[in-house]
Amino acid sequence: MIPLGVTVRLRRTGRRGFAVWIPLFLLWLLLLPVALVLFPVVYLACLFVRVNAVQLYMTAWRILASLRHTLIEVEDAEHAVRIHIA
Amino acid sequence: MNEDRRKVLDMLAAGKITAEEAERLLTALEKEPTATLAQESAPKPKAKYIRVTVDQADPDGKAPKKVNIRVPIQLLRSGVRLAGVIPVQARQHVEDAMRANGMAFDLSQIKPENLEEIVNELQDLSIDVVEEHSKVRIFAE
Repeated sequence: MIPLGVTVRLRRTGRRGFAVWIPLFLLWLLLLPVALVLFPVVYLACLFVRVNAVQLYMTAWRILASLRHTLIEVEDAEHAVRIHIA
Repeated sequence: MNEDRRKVLDMLAAGKITAEEAERLLTALEKEPTATLAQESAPKPKAKYIRVTVDQADPDGKAPKKVNIRVPIQLLRSGVRLAGVIPVQARQHVEDAMRANGMAFDLSQIKPENLEEIVNELQDLSIDVVEEHSKVRIFAE
């Protein structure tokens, strides 16, 4: 299943941190009609470069879906960043 | 005869335990190796993520820098399929660039079933790099 949201948490030493939840599902809802509208153009481009357009869409879907539960944390003396794709 | 069995029989001979208690103890001792064997032969759960951790100490004594990245193994599987949608012209450029950097690679030969073997071997992956002020760990979990 494709990720539905991203949580980004930022913290600075001596300051109050904050967390932002980005609803990716809204982004997918916006991008879906764009992807459908662009499909004929993508299909023609894929024909030109000899790539299977359906396979391209399915691969992009698989890569998106496998991003779920990715976690990135970076912390130093002054800052801390946490990105979690759920 | 192993040590535990001998102890049980010695206790029986010394009258410290009854025959019934000795029998129970011996049965329990016999079951123990079977239980351990069953645990060992039970299939290990498959690792789902590759984790990379970096800990870098600060020579000035400040708080250390830490990086923690967890990537789903499924992303590797999906990424391999990307090689199948690279246009032929671009594939040649990629292979030439890789060859120039010492990696002779034929992207058309990468197949999902080949990668499945590699991903299965990643289950036991564990790499530790330790330097004076930093430590890098890569492992599957």
